[in-house]
Amino acid sequence: MEGRTDARLDASRLESLLESAKLLSASLELDELLKHLLRTVMGRLLSLRGAVAIQEDGGLRVAHSRGVTSLRPGQPFNLADAAEAGLTMTFPIGDAAAPAGLLALSPSKRGALDASENDFLEALLGLAASSIENARAHRQVLVANRALDQKVQELSTLLDLGRGLASTIDVDELASILLLTLSGRFAVRRHALFTWKAGQPPIQRVKGLEELDPVALQEQAKTLEGAALRDGLLLLPIRASAETQGIVVLGPRALKLPYGAADLDFAQGLMAQAAVAFENAWHFRDSLFRQQIEQELALAASIQKDLFPKRLPALASTCMAARNRQARQVGGDYYDVLKAGPEVSLLCVADISGKGVAASLLMANLQATLRALLSAGPPITELASKTSDLLYASTPASKYATAFFMKYRPETGACEYVNCGHNEGIVLRASGEVELLNATGMPVGLLPGRKYAAGALQLDSGDLLCLYTDGVTEADNLKEEEFEIERTIECLKAHREEQPETILDRLFEAIDTFAGGAPQHDDITALVLKRT
Amino acid sequence: MSTNFRIERSELGGAVVLALDGFLDAHTAPQFENAISSEAEAGHLHLIADCRKLSYISSAGLGVFMSFIEEIREKGGDIKLSGIEPKVYQVFEVLGFHELFDIVDNVEAAGALFDQGSRRKD
Repeated sequence: MEGRTDARLDASRLESLLESAKLLSASLELDELLKHLLRTVMGRLLSLRGAVAIQEDGGLRVAHSRGVTSLRPGQPFNLADAAEAGLTMTFPIGDAAAPAGLLALSPSKRGALDASENDFLEALLGLAASSIENARAHRQVLVANRALDQKVQELSTLLDLGRGLASTIDVDELASILLLTLSGRFAVRRHALFTWKAGQPPIQRVKGLEELDPVALQEQAKTLEGAALRDGLLLLPIRASAETQGIVVLGPRALKLPYGAADLDFAQGLMAQAAVAFENAWHFRDSLFRQQIEQELALAASIQKDLFPKRLPALASTCMAARNRQARQVGGDYYDVLKAGPEVSLLCVADISGKGVAASLLMANLQATLRALLSAGPPITELASKTSDLLYASTPASKYATAFFMKYRPETGACEYVNCGHNEGIVLRASGEVELLNATGMPVGLLPGRKYAAGALQLDSGDLLCLYTDGVTEADNLKEEEFEIERTIECLKAHREEQPETILDRLFEAIDTFAGGAPQHDDITALVLKRT
Repeated sequence: MSTNFRIERSELGGAVVLALDGFLDAHTAPQFENAISSEAEAGHLHLIADCRKLSYISSAGLGVFMSFIEEIREKGGDIKLSGIEPKVYQVFEVLGFHELFDIVDNVEAAGALFDQGSRRKD
């Protein structure tokens, strides 16, 4: 009888051990393991109360208890408390010297445990110890995996932001992408972004942080080395070079999560990328702006080119050529040959004060004025005074023009001129004699109500007339010497037998040779007329 | 890139359903932001993001949810998410979004939550 009972008990022990081995090795859930252990042992020993404690944070803590309310899960476990609760039997889980935990039970209803039962318990607890280790290792792997997931997420965030930033050069869009990415990454609902890049429109994006003072932030940003936490806000300076160009402010994270050191590092990485993108976008905006100006200048230049006569009219007994070379894209010199009545032409060479777009606008103005006045066929003195008054009325006082107007009758060679503060006209007679046509009045547009005197002369066969601007006579070389009227006359004399077109070639060559590589400061304009 | 992401709008009871289709990344997030923003401005505060066809979400995409949730909840509304694919759900989980938002299996369940007046507190 006794033997059969023993045999059945042995069999049940083996069965229980086998079942436990299966369960314990299959489960990686620590809680499940411990509950199973407690259940199994209490069942086998017929104990009514029990508790299992495991090593945690350097001490034993209650993991589960049954039938004892005084031992709550999570609280530190000590033998005295357990004994008081009636748990007088204790078994170490695993190596007795450094147990993974402890099993405490009320006395067995089956009385004292025999050797076989002790062996069984020892085997079961040994099994449990290694399973607890496994479960713990598994838990660590899970934690590590989670950290890894975070890292993967960080990397993909960086990558995604990089792609997003690269896809646009629009500064406002960059600000959106950056704020969305940071808000998503840190689960932040309140954020702000300010920039103060010189020469660029500032960006101010604020959501839920309206109390921030951008001016104070800009001051504060100067003192920041990198990402910094202030009053629960994360401050992230936007800085691609030495200077801080802006700042991102993130509000507190949801779920009351803190910003850790790793978060700051990560945010700083994102910001470095974003700062470069902002720099690029700003730079792009700048060069786009410059490009636009250049395009507009090119357009102005092409419009101005159309203001010059495409070819000079063919006049009886006359060979004529004129040329203009601008110092900049658009200039302020002007020449024209206009019909001023039956068998009368108006020759005009003018130099508008200043350079660039403003001068070119005035030039267009001058041309329009001349054409409008000419239709009424006024005397040349009236043409000059009316031109002066109209220019004076339509431009600031600092804008004026020197001009040479000459009425020329091709049939007879008779000329009448007004020199409005302009360079002397040069007449090279067939005899070799030189006459200079001096100023007969003030520049046009300088003062109101000016009267002009006219000069007259007769051009005969073989005579040569040259009208020009100060770009010719004041062309300077590297020694800052000027070309002067003497060199101009010399050049005209030397080539007077050539056609006007060729004479202009020689004149411009002479100027360039004289300048010897010095840059052209002013527009150069010359008109040459030869009487045949 | 913009062709990789589409939003389809429909209504379910009193709620507006925004069905997200494709890649919600830094590049496409502004599109989604505009969509939510115009719903909020129009006073549509019961919003359901139907994520069945959402194949990818980046931090910037999550940022859109964060950017509006406070304002919408303050006005008594909510954004609920439904039908998130496991791969996409992982991203929500890693960053803790599943604790901030009601995430349910399908649009109908999200609608039912609105009908019950339930709203997640955090």
